Amino acid sequence: MSMPSISKTLGTSILMAGMAFGSAAAMAADGPLRGNVRVVIGSTSTGGDTYQNSNIVVDALADHLDLNMKVDAVGASAAFRALDRDSRGNTLMIFHDQSYLGHLYGVEGYDDIFEKYTIGPTIAINPGNAYLVPKDSPYKTLDDVIAAAGNGEEVRVAIQPGGVSEIGFSALKNAIRIEHPGMEDNLVAVNTGSQADKNQQLFDGQADMINGTVQANEQYTRLPEDDQKSMRFLWLTARHDTIKQAPEEGLGKTSRAELLKYVEPNVNVTMGDDKNFTFDKEFFFLYNKDMDPAIVDQIDEALTEIYDEGDIQKAQKKSFFIPNFKPSGESEEYLKEKMSTYKDIIENIK
Amino acid sequence: MLDILSLLDITFFLLAAMGALIGIIFGAIPGMTATMAVAVCLPLTYALGLHHGLALLLGLYVGGISGGMVPAVLLNIPGTPSSITTTFDGYPMAQKGEGERALRVSVVASVVGGLISAAILFLFAPLLAEFSIKFSYVEKFLIILLALTVIASMSRNMLVGIFSGVLGIWLSLIGTYSISDGGNGHTRLMFDFLEPYLFEGFSLLPVLIGIFGIATILLEAEKGVKSGLAGTEIKIGKGGGFSLNLFKGRLTNLVRSSFIGTFVGMLPGVGGSAASVLAYTQEKNLSRDSSEMGKGAPQGLIASESANNALTGGALIPLLSLGIPGDSTTAVLIGAFTLQGIQVGPLFIPENADTWYVMMTALVFANIVMFFLMFYAIKHIAKVVLVPKYILYPIIVMMCVVGAYAINYGIMFDVWTLLIFGVLGYLIQKVGLEVAPLIIGFILGGQAEVYFVKSLESFGTYSIFFTKSPIAVVLWLLIAASVTFSVVMGLKSRAKNRLETTQ
Amino acid sequence: MESGLTSLFSVSIDFETSHLFFPHIINWLMGGLFALILVFKVVPFLAAVRRGEETLPILGESMDKFRFFGSIALIAAYFYLMAVVGNLFPYTGYGFLFVSMAFVFLMSMMYMHTKTKRKVITAVINAIVAPSLAWFILAKLFQITLP
Repeated sequence: MSMPSISKTLGTSILMAGMAFGSAAAMAADGPLRGNVRVVIGSTSTGGDTYQNSNIVVDALADHLDLNMKVDAVGASAAFRALDRDSRGNTLMIFHDQSYLGHLYGVEGYDDIFEKYTIGPTIAINPGNAYLVPKDSPYKTLDDVIAAAGNGEEVRVAIQPGGVSEIGFSALKNAIRIEHPGMEDNLVAVNTGSQADKNQQLFDGQADMINGTVQANEQYTRLPEDDQKSMRFLWLTARHDTIKQAPEEGLGKTSRAELLKYVEPNVNVTMGDDKNFTFDKEFFFLYNKDMDPAIVDQIDEALTEIYDEGDIQKAQKKSFFIPNFKPSGESEEYLKEKMSTYKDIIENIK
Repeated sequence: MLDILSLLDITFFLLAAMGALIGIIFGAIPGMTATMAVAVCLPLTYALGLHHGLALLLGLYVGGISGGMVPAVLLNIPGTPSSITTTFDGYPMAQKGEGERALRVSVVASVVGGLISAAILFLFAPLLAEFSIKFSYVEKFLIILLALTVIASMSRNMLVGIFSGVLGIWLSLIGTYSISDGGNGHTRLMFDFLEPYLFEGFSLLPVLIGIFGIATILLEAEKGVKSGLAGTEIKIGKGGGFSLNLFKGRLTNLVRSSFIGTFVGMLPGVGGSAASVLAYTQEKNLSRDSSEMGKGAPQGLIASESANNALTGGALIPLLSLGIPGDSTTAVLIGAFTLQGIQVGPLFIPENADTWYVMMTALVFANIVMFFLMFYAIKHIAKVVLVPKYILYPIIVMMCVVGAYAINYGIMFDVWTLLIFGVLGYLIQKVGLEVAPLIIGFILGGQAEVYFVKSLESFGTYSIFFTKSPIAVVLWLLIAASVTFSVVMGLKSRAKNRLETTQ
Repeated sequence: MESGLTSLFSVSIDFETSHLFFPHIINWLMGGLFALILVFKVVPFLAAVRRGEETLPILGESMDKFRFFGSIALIAAYFYLMAVVGNLFPYTGYGFLFVSMAFVFLMSMMYMHTKTKRKVITAVINAIVAPSLAWFILAKLFQITLP
């Protein structure tokens, strides 16, 4: 490194730094939300649905509010901690139903979000949560599975324990308990990790049914039956109305009409009293409890305007998300009720 | 076929080349990884469109993995976790004044590994995907066990080395038994008050750069940072002589390591660092003259670098033919597809033939660009060691901080991990424990646990490890051979030492 | 015999305590190896120290105490202050930028044996340019979150 080149670099870097400072100062908007905003999410994957969906919403929000906003995939426990520490509104969080399901299942690191945080608006649904069997499985419908377990046959289901992946399993177990009392323990959880691990359990014959997603498993359902890897959807946990809002062409080469065959009322998982279990994986904001309520309002208003414009819905639907905006107050009430339903199910099968 | 040619415009090649360059820079900075390079450029692909975006990302991937060799050889800090075994021989060579030669050997090995794996990917992807799903938890555990046997053959003293390795495994278990691996999410091996910090345990990259980078600086500081330059004996130009003769008789090694890298890369969850460790083990066990390995033998570099670049093609196999990422970088790559509304899965290749050919072109082209960029830049890169230590060391610490903080998207505890493992790395070297086995134990420990416990949960008997499948039997034979070999080697060198002391 | 062998190998893992299964094995393994090392390595070594043939690590060696402990203290202060200053300017990376400048300069000065004017000026320029460049490229261009 020679001296002239150092001074040249120095000059440019000071210039660049100056420009950057300047632009940062100019960013200061008029609303209560100020400075740079970091949105932490409960997933560590930047290829996953939480990151993708958060990015769509946060980008729109940053444009609308004229702020610097950035999504960071730090994972659930680090995200909750970051949110705990910052009440200024510079740290926000986006997560899904895992945030309270983790608490219901007693997973370490999950507190009651309704007590500890302010619930922000819901933004979208990932309607893809599904249960699949090998294509040559004797179980042709979910009723076959319930009947088999009721007859004393052991059915092994590969899931990831403690959350979104387990809730459908718990509901199914509860349904078996209602229809065939005392036989629910025939539905056995095979606790495993990623989607790859769950698929592998099916290929190995270590599971009879797996939890999966439309997005990750759709292509497997189109393989010929003699392929060891071929699978068949038995059940999508989403509500009928949710799937009905999906684009007509569905996902991959599986149309919406096809997908609708696997949701209620075609597939029923009873919760007793003629009520059916459904589960939509919903994404929503979480705020620090002590954050200025004006920020809550500001984000609600901004999102209301963004959703009124209608572009964000197109972006979400393109990525197979179902737009579902509910402002904070409404969303808190809604999610609380959702949680209490699932709480009953989990307690019933304990 | 003509359709595809129309997709390959100048921009496409420029993006792939730019990706390779940026990737190399990311990889060459201690603490920055290929995964990080791909992650930060992911948002750009939305504007670029799928094919141009993939060109950029694959360039970054190839460049990032290769760039890791630079700090590994010159500074003894693995730039990416998969270049850990490159430090074993690369740094001793650099200390002998052969840094430039070490880098050139590594670059050639890298490009061969990359191209072999690209060829395998192109020709056999669906077939190999079919084979890879024959590996259940049981077989994956045995592969990890096989990689762990390198600890025995690599240690200066077998007892101390194995203890260091087990200590590394122990350290990797701290934190939760993660539910994302199918665990029960409970924490262990720590006190409750540490839970806010240690919930997810120590992350790999900060541990790695702490134990290599920070510890090295502390060891230097203890000696007073005497010499002005990082490598006093390094004479640029002299000893830098490189000719392809270095590869004479190394063809088997090169091809074998490339195959191992591709193969390990394609096993979902195993991938990454295990590939180069395994290739290194096998070279150590199978070559006729492995006694110099670990002291600065080019064959160690060849094994390590060809394997870690072969990862790229390998990790893309399950991604493109099963929809499952083979390593952490391809996991981010999935985002590029979903961002464009394209699914990856068993039908990806037949249904997206254009994209598939475009990806192959980008991969091969990125490897070639990487080769030329690196091969001719080496002379200048190697001069890093001429920077005075009082300038170089503070910058290394600063870049390690950036890398540690950014690896999990902004967690301060990861930065403290640097210091903790820096001091720990200093202490273990002082009391005579061995760093390399410890770090290999740390890298493989978590996977060993999950595969071991899950196998037993499924089958309920230890005997399953022997009876599961013919693959398991073959793996046991390899493990037995590897252990026998290291015992024999250990006894031989002991006998030799005794002979020397009596003479 | 067959069933005896089967039961010998059979194992059942309770999911609720499965997080301790593998660590238990490792604890025992580590304990055993440590005992072996004590017997075969540490005891002979200590005997050698007593006879004066070897010196204790760290304690018995000469070291540059100022630079060694100075490095640790400086790095610790660097990490701590970075978070503190960063917290004043949330998510701008200024904490990293400003504290790094001070750190790089101080560490350079500490490792410099003979301080000439030219060397000090180089150190100052380096302390300003390197963190600015890193900050600009990473935090601004690539939008990586920095403290």
